[in-house]
Amino acid sequence: MQPSTDTLNYDLKRAYSKNRLAGLWRLMTGFRSTYMVATLAQGMAALAKTATYFLLRYFVDTYLSGASTVALPLLAVSFLALAALEGGFTFISATFASRTAEGVTRRLRNYLYDHIQHLTFTYHDNTQTGELIERSTSDVDALKRFFADQAISVGRIILLFIVNFVALINLNASLAWRSVVVIPIVVAISTIFFHYISKAYEAYQEQEAVLSTALQENLAGVRVVKAFARQDFEKEKFETQNFEKFIRGKRLLILNSFFWPVTDVLCTAQVLYGYFTGASMAIHGEITLGTYLAYTGLIVWIIYPMRNLGRLIVQMSTGMVSYGRVMDIIKQDREPLDDGTLTNPEQAKGEIHFENVGFAYTDGTTALQNITFSVKPGQVIALLGSTGSGKTTLVNLLPRFYEYTSGRIFLDGQELNTIPRRWLRNQIGIVEQEPFLFSRSIEENISYGVDRKVTKEEIEAAACAAAIHDVILSFPEGYRTVVGEKGVTLSGGQKQRIAIARTLLKNPRILILDDSTSSVDTETEAEIQSALQSLMKDRTTFIIAHRIQSIQSADLILVMDKGCITQRGTHSELINQTGMYRQIFEIQTRVEEELEREIASVRN
Amino acid sequence: MSEIETFEEEDFQTRFSGKTFRRILALTAPHWKWVVGFLTTIMLVSVLDAFFTYLGKQIIDVGIAGKDISALLRIFYLYGGLTIIQSVMVFLFIYLAGILGERVRYDLRRNMFNHLQDLSLSYYSKTPVGWIMSRVTSDSDRVAELVTWGLVDTTWAVMNITTSLVFMFIIQWQLALIVLVLVPILVYIAIQFRKRILHSYRTVRKLNSKITGSFNENITGVRVVKSLGRESENLAEFSHITGEMYKASYRAAWLSALFLPTVQIVSAIAISAVVWYTGGNFTSSAMTIGGIQAFITYITFMMWPVQDLARVYAEIQLSIASAERIFSLVDAIPEILDRENAFDPGKLTGDIQFDHVSFSYDDGSPVLKDFSLSVKRGETIALVGPTGGGKTTIVNLLCRFYEPTSGSIKIGGCDYRDYSLYAIQSRIGVVLQTPHLFSGTIAENIRYGRLNATRDEVESAARMAGAADFITKFPRGFDEPVGEGGNMLSVGQKQLISLARAILAQPEIFVMDEATSSVDTLTEAQIQKGMEIMMNGRTSFIVAHRLSTIKKADRILVIENGAIAEIGTHAELLKKGGKYHNLYTRQFRNQMTEAYNPLSGQAATSN
Repeated sequence: MQPSTDTLNYDLKRAYSKNRLAGLWRLMTGFRSTYMVATLAQGMAALAKTATYFLLRYFVDTYLSGASTVALPLLAVSFLALAALEGGFTFISATFASRTAEGVTRRLRNYLYDHIQHLTFTYHDNTQTGELIERSTSDVDALKRFFADQAISVGRIILLFIVNFVALINLNASLAWRSVVVIPIVVAISTIFFHYISKAYEAYQEQEAVLSTALQENLAGVRVVKAFARQDFEKEKFETQNFEKFIRGKRLLILNSFFWPVTDVLCTAQVLYGYFTGASMAIHGEITLGTYLAYTGLIVWIIYPMRNLGRLIVQMSTGMVSYGRVMDIIKQDREPLDDGTLTNPEQAKGEIHFENVGFAYTDGTTALQNITFSVKPGQVIALLGSTGSGKTTLVNLLPRFYEYTSGRIFLDGQELNTIPRRWLRNQIGIVEQEPFLFSRSIEENISYGVDRKVTKEEIEAAACAAAIHDVILSFPEGYRTVVGEKGVTLSGGQKQRIAIARTLLKNPRILILDDSTSSVDTETEAEIQSALQSLMKDRTTFIIAHRIQSIQSADLILVMDKGCITQRGTHSELINQTGMYRQIFEIQTRVEEELEREIASVRN
Repeated sequence: MSEIETFEEEDFQTRFSGKTFRRILALTAPHWKWVVGFLTTIMLVSVLDAFFTYLGKQIIDVGIAGKDISALLRIFYLYGGLTIIQSVMVFLFIYLAGILGERVRYDLRRNMFNHLQDLSLSYYSKTPVGWIMSRVTSDSDRVAELVTWGLVDTTWAVMNITTSLVFMFIIQWQLALIVLVLVPILVYIAIQFRKRILHSYRTVRKLNSKITGSFNENITGVRVVKSLGRESENLAEFSHITGEMYKASYRAAWLSALFLPTVQIVSAIAISAVVWYTGGNFTSSAMTIGGIQAFITYITFMMWPVQDLARVYAEIQLSIASAERIFSLVDAIPEILDRENAFDPGKLTGDIQFDHVSFSYDDGSPVLKDFSLSVKRGETIALVGPTGGGKTTIVNLLCRFYEPTSGSIKIGGCDYRDYSLYAIQSRIGVVLQTPHLFSGTIAENIRYGRLNATRDEVESAARMAGAADFITKFPRGFDEPVGEGGNMLSVGQKQLISLARAILAQPEIFVMDEATSSVDTLTEAQIQKGMEIMMNGRTSFIVAHRLSTIKKADRILVIENGAIAEIGTHAELLKKGGKYHNLYTRQFRNQMTEAYNPLSGQAATSN
C-alpha cells in the first residue's frame, strides 16, 4: 500500500513550526491515521499480554482447584491464542510504524532534493555542500528513527504501563500503588544518565573524527612522510590521538557500566518489595495464589521497561534537533521557475539589450554598475577583464541566476525579469571553464539537458561536431562509459568537449562560453576552438575571455574593470585606442620579438 | 565511495574460516585476564538469573503454599543479597568487556597505522585511500565488537539456554524434554529469518549510498542542473530511487516485525504444553504452581537468546570478513626494505649514477627504459617533456620511493640499495608538485623538515623560502593553523611552506616537482628565489615547467616515452632545433603572454 498522491504532494513548508513537537506532528500529515493504528495495535498487544496473566490466574485459582467449567484443551489453546493475538498486534504495529516512518522520510527526501535544486544561486553560494548533504542524509535518518523507533517505543512503554497498572489495580489496589514507587526515580536517573552518556558518546565520536582525519592526512601525505623519513614521528602523532580515543571510550564505558547495575538494583528492590508484600498477602489470604502469580508477571512489564524511557527521551531530543536542521533548509524560498508571461512564446531570436544595469549583493557590495550595450541576434560579444572584474556576474544575469538590482535588460524586446526562468534557461547554453559532468554514461551526459527522447545518431552527431566522437570510441565501453570516480577520468579538454556536445544537442539560441582554453595544451586548444566554431554558428554568443587570441573576430568587445565597462568596440577599433586592450595586444608582438632575440642569442 | 561499498559487499560472502578465527582470538591473548574476567562474570550473572527464577518458585511453593513466613524471609534475604552480588558482576562484565573492546580496537589501529608507515608507495598506488580508511576505522570497530560483545552475547545466550534447561530438568524432566524439542525448531526459524532480513538490509544499505550519491551530485552540480533545466527529470529519477528505498526498507521492517511474533508464538506452544500437561495430571505429577510459573519464565528466558543468537551469528560472519581484510593489510609486505647490513654512509654528497635503469609497474608496462645518466656533485638537472613521459618516475626512483626493476642507481659510487632507507630519505629534500601540508600551525608544518629545529631556524627557513612575508600577515603569524590538508592557504602559499620545510631539512640532494598550476606573479618570483637557495651547491633534480628554472639548469633532459630524447644545455638544445626547441618556443609564448598580461597581474593581486 503506497501512500496517496495527495499525501506525497503535501507541501512540507507547511510543516514548519517553531514548536518542534508541533512541527514533527505536521511532518506526519497524511500518515497520522497509519501511526494511530500502529499505536492502537501496541495497546492491543499490551492488553493481550496482560490477559495472558489473567488467564494464568484463572488456570491456577479456578481450574487447578477443580472449579472450572472450561475444558483443559481449550484453556491450553487459549494461551496460544493470546500469544497469537499479541504477536499479531505487535506485527501490525511494527509494520504500520514502518509505513509511517518510511513514508514520511521518502516524502521528506524527495521534497528536500527538489527544494535544493530550486533554491537560488545566492543560497548555494553561501552554503557549504557538505552541510547540505549532511542535513539531507544523516538528519533525515535521525528523523526516520524518531518515527520508526523512538516515538513508538515511548508509546509502547507508556501503554504497557497504563494497561498493566490498570490490571494491577484490578488485582489489588494497595499492592498496585506500592509497586510503582520506584518508577519516577528510575525515569529520572535514566534521563540524567543518558544525558551524560550521550555527551560522552559525542566526545567519543568527535575523537573518532579526529582520528580518521589524522589517518586520512597521513595517507594523503604518504610521499611527504617518506620523503622526510618521518615515519616514527607520524606513528607517535597517531598514537596520541588513538590513545585519547581509548581514554574517551573508557569514560563512556564507566558511565554505561554504572547505569545498568544501579538501575538493576533499584528495579529489583522494587520488584522484591512487591513480591514480598504480595506473598505476605497471599499467606494471609488477602489475595489468591493465582493473583500473586499474575502480579509477579505483570510487575516485570511495568518496572523494567522504564529504564529505557530515559534513553529514548534523550534520543528523541536529537531527533528534534535534526528536525530544526532540516527545516532550516525547507523554510528557504524557492526560485520560481514559471513566474512571468511571455509576449512571444516562440524560440528566442537572441536580441539583447542592457540598459544601465547594476547588480549588488545582499550585503550591499556592488558587483556591476552602469552596464549598457546591445546585441543583435547571432552576434558575438566578448568580455575581457581580470578576475573579479564582473564578467561572470554579467553573464549570470542572463539566465536569471541572479536578478539585476538596477537598470533593465531586454530579450527580444521583453524585459528579462518578466520572462519565466524555465523558458529563458532553455534558450541559453553555457560551457563552463571546468565543466561539471555527472557520474553516469557519456551518452547520458551529452543528452542531459534535453527533455525529449534523443536518438543515438543525434548524440553521435553532437559528439562529432564537438570533436570528441573518436575519443569516446577509444574508451572500452564507448558511449556507455561511465564518467568520474566509478569510470574513466577525463582530461579537462575532454570534459569541455563533452560539455560542448551537450550544449549543441540542447540547441540554445544564446550561448555563454567561459574562457575555455586557458587550462589545456596547444593541440587540444585547437580542437576545442574548432568545436566552438560549430557551436557558435547562428547563435548570440557571449565569450568570457582572459586572452585576446580567441576574441579578435567578436562583433563587440567589452573590456571590464571593477564592475564597469571601460572600453568597447571591435578589435580593429580597440587596437587604435590607448587602453588596456591595446596594451594586451602589444604583448603578443613583444613576446614574439623576445623569442626571436632569445633564439638568435643562442645561435651566435 | 561506491567502489569501497562493492569491495565490502563482495567480501561479505566470506565463509567462516577457522584460521582467521584463531587469529582473531589471538588478538585478545595479551589481555587474557580481561577475557577470563568478563566471561566468568557473565556466566555468574546468567546462573544467578536462572537461580532467581528458581527462588521465585520457592517463594510460591515453600513460602506461600507452605504459609511459612520465616522461610519466606530467608528466601528474600538470599534473593536481595544475591541481587547485590549480581549487580557487581554486571558492572564488572560490562566494564571488562568494554575495556577489552577499546583495547583491541586501539591495538588494531596502532598496528595497522604503524604497518602502513612501512609500506611502499607501490602499495598506495594500488590501494584506494578510502579502502585503507575503512580497514582502520570500521573494520577494526567490527572486530573489536566481535571479541567483546560478540563473545558476551554468545556466552550469555548459551548460558541462558543451558541453565534454563538444567533448572527445568531439575523441576520436571518430562516437560523439559518437550521444551528441548522446540529449541532446534526455533534456531532454524531464527536462521531463516536472519538470512532474509540481512539480505534486505543489504539492499537498503546500497540504496542509501545511492541516495547520498544523488544528493551529492545534485548539490555540487546544481548550477549545471539549473542552466540545463533538468529539475523535473532529476526529481523523477530520485523519486524512483526513494520509491525503491521505501519498498526495501519496508520489506526489512516487515520481516523483522514478523520474526518477533513468530518466536513468541513458538514459546507460547511450550507454555500451552506446560498448562496442558500440568492441568491434566496436577495432583499426580510432581509439578507445583511455583513450578508452572518457573517454567513459563524459563521458556521466555530461553527464547530471547535464541533469536539473538541468529543476529550474533550474522554479525560474527561480518566481523570475520572484516578481520580478513585487516589481516590482508597487515600481511602486505613492504616492497622496499632495508637490505641486510644496510648502512648509513654519513653523507650523500657524491656523484649520482643511473646505470641502465629500467622500471615497470606490476602490470609489466615499462615506464623507464634503459636510462643511464651520470650527475656530478652540485649539478642541477632539469627534466622536461610531456606528461607521462617518465620524469616523475626518475625522481621517484632517486628518492627510493621505488627501486629500479633492472639496472642500478649509485650514489657516491655505491649501489643505493646498500644504504638504509633512512640514510637516503633523511638527506633528500623533496618539494612535490601538489604540496601537502598537515593540519596544525604553519610553524609545525615547516618544522616537519627538521623536528628539533628552533623557532629561529624555522623562521629563517621561511624567510629564505620567501614565505615569511605572507606568514607574518596572518593574525597569528607562524602559529596560524593551516586547516585540514592546508586548505586555508592558496596553492602558492602551500608551495612556499613546503619549500621552507625542505630548506629547514638541510638536505644534501634537492628534488623538486614544479607545480603546473598557475600562481600569481609575486609568489612565483618568491618560489624561484627559494629554489635558487636550495639548488646552490646541492645536486638538484627539477621536474621543470618554468622557463627560468629550465634556463638555469646545468643540463636539460627531455624525457619522452621513458627514455632520454635530448640532453644538453639550454643553448645547445635550442640550437639543435629539435624537440626542446618546439617545447621551449611553445612554452615561451604561453608563459610570456601570461607574464606580461596586465589581467593576470591584477588577478594575482585580487586573489
